[in-house]
Amino acid sequence: MGAAPASRDVTSYGMGLAVPLALFFLVFFVAPLLQLLWLSLHNDTAGLHWGLSQYQHFLTDPFSLGVLGSTLLLGAEVTLVCLMLGFPLAWLYQRVGPRLQTIIILIVLLPLLTSVVVRTFAWIVILGRQGIINATLQSLGIINTPLKLLYTQFGVVIALAQVQMPLMTLPLITALGRIDPNLDDASCSLGAGSWRTFFRIVLPLSLPGVIAGCTLTYAAAITAFITQSLVGGGQMLFMPMYLYQQASTLQNWPFAAAISIIFLLAVLAVVSVFTTLGRLSRGYGGT
Amino acid sequence: MIINRRSLLTTALTLGAMKAFPGLSYAQARPLVFATFTGSWEEAHKAVLVPAFRKANADATIVLDPMLSVDQIAKVNAAKANPPIDVMLHDPGPALVAIGQDLVEPYPIEKSACYKDLIAEAQEPMGPAPFFQVVGLTYNPEAVKTPPTSWADLWKPEFKGRVGITNLNSTLGTGWLVEIAKMRGGSEANVDPGFKALEELKPNLAAVAANPGALATLFQQGQIDISPGNFNAIQILKARGVPVEFVAPKEGAIAFKTTIHIVKNSANRELAFNLIEAALTPEVQATLMNPPYLIVPTNSKVTMGGEIARVLAKDTAELKQKFVFQDWKKINEQRSAWIERFNREIKI
Repeated sequence: MGAAPASRDVTSYGMGLAVPLALFFLVFFVAPLLQLLWLSLHNDTAGLHWGLSQYQHFLTDPFSLGVLGSTLLLGAEVTLVCLMLGFPLAWLYQRVGPRLQTIIILIVLLPLLTSVVVRTFAWIVILGRQGIINATLQSLGIINTPLKLLYTQFGVVIALAQVQMPLMTLPLITALGRIDPNLDDASCSLGAGSWRTFFRIVLPLSLPGVIAGCTLTYAAAITAFITQSLVGGGQMLFMPMYLYQQASTLQNWPFAAAISIIFLLAVLAVVSVFTTLGRLSRGYGGT
Repeated sequence: MIINRRSLLTTALTLGAMKAFPGLSYAQARPLVFATFTGSWEEAHKAVLVPAFRKANADATIVLDPMLSVDQIAKVNAAKANPPIDVMLHDPGPALVAIGQDLVEPYPIEKSACYKDLIAEAQEPMGPAPFFQVVGLTYNPEAVKTPPTSWADLWKPEFKGRVGITNLNSTLGTGWLVEIAKMRGGSEANVDPGFKALEELKPNLAAVAANPGALATLFQQGQIDISPGNFNAIQILKARGVPVEFVAPKEGAIAFKTTIHIVKNSANRELAFNLIEAALTPEVQATLMNPPYLIVPTNSKVTMGGEIARVLAKDTAELKQKFVFQDWKKINEQRSAWIERFNREIKI
């Protein structure tokens, strides 16, 4: 083994080391994606006639657009719930002793350690007609007939929020941990109240974490096939189920490919909105 | 031995390649691959069919690769010249798709010892049916005191908010809709009456499950009390102690021929044939008919017994009279349009 020349540019290593992963992505991610695009540009299931009819079909069909819209909305709702519940938890984490911190981290990570299927089935047990919520409300005499929670939009949002919560909380904990606690005190000693300190100091400085958490939660929530179909049921159609139906049951691969490309672009658009917000927030946090 | 970077890399790459392309290491002798269905079917085939096959074939190696019919088709379609599956198992709808896409071989009837003993409905030249799946009414006997007798009972006002169905992604959902349409004067070519009936069913609907498996969960959770359901799926629930019963409606229980096929260009054609033969023998079918499997036999030499004789049919003659076989060729023609219509119209 020859020694590397002394004059070798240290920065050239970076590209070389990235080659294996780049090759992996090229073969197993970019190539299939191109194949998907190629397939979506055909008018027939056999893939013989070129054309844009699959896209035309989707984009001129109010029903398909409705499915896309409700999926994107679902993601927004789940993200909002996660943010509302996750932020106080992350904030609390930074203000308690080490023992409580361990407990909080354990609680946050615990869902990640069980399979999504198990977590989702737990929600079926909780939300069902004879589930924990209905049984409790009935025994307290608050309701007479069980509420319909399973197979509703509400049920899906709640279950998804719990399933995806770690993706929101972990970036928030990191972001809040990076804020110098002295800034709080400085703000208070300069006469700002707690709310003012929160909105002018803590929130802007934690925005990178908020953006990262929102992006992760959003992407995970809209593509969560298992939770969506188990808690949402068969009559609530979201993009992943729509895709599955077209690809698997109907074997209509070109239309399924077009759906996935459109879905991909829609998600990219939403994520780029998040990123733009993140870039703007960096300027805001600095002033 | 000195391990240098190059030899380490070579070894790693070789190992990696063998892992990624297992065909490299045993290109000549791939075991027979049988794509059965997941769940109880896999258990039954592993426990009964595989030992019977191996006994008759000098312990030939066989691999069960359970997956849905539609996934089997996709997998074989992706590698038609060198298919990764030798024997496919199909519901009636996907079977016709597989035949239409030229993925299966005609069954060598002249060589077969058991084919002629199958009841007429199970004799399919492109792949015989080793068993039937039966769909009837399933209900919770604790909540439903008088057992239902007809599909029409689902519309009774007493079941307001208690009925479960599945969407049309499944064979069960589609087959049931066709049956409902027939009950109201429609047919495989005209399910309009079925959709009208679904519209009237809405007040009673508690859930539209995404797949038949989810119906089981809904029964367990008390979310629904009555639904169209698969005879075999119910047996699993019953064995787990869930209060649920199956009844064949007076209009006739829907029977799906589950057909078994030799994949075209299979590298193990001979063994594939032998496996299918084993699945058709009266011995295997009789064993599968007993608990805990309760799989409906298709070989006329099998004497019906136990739960199947009690709930479904005592003999072949009664089976023919009580079972309804549907025309899936007609159903497939319009199925995608129905699925689309179901997507749009059935919101509860």
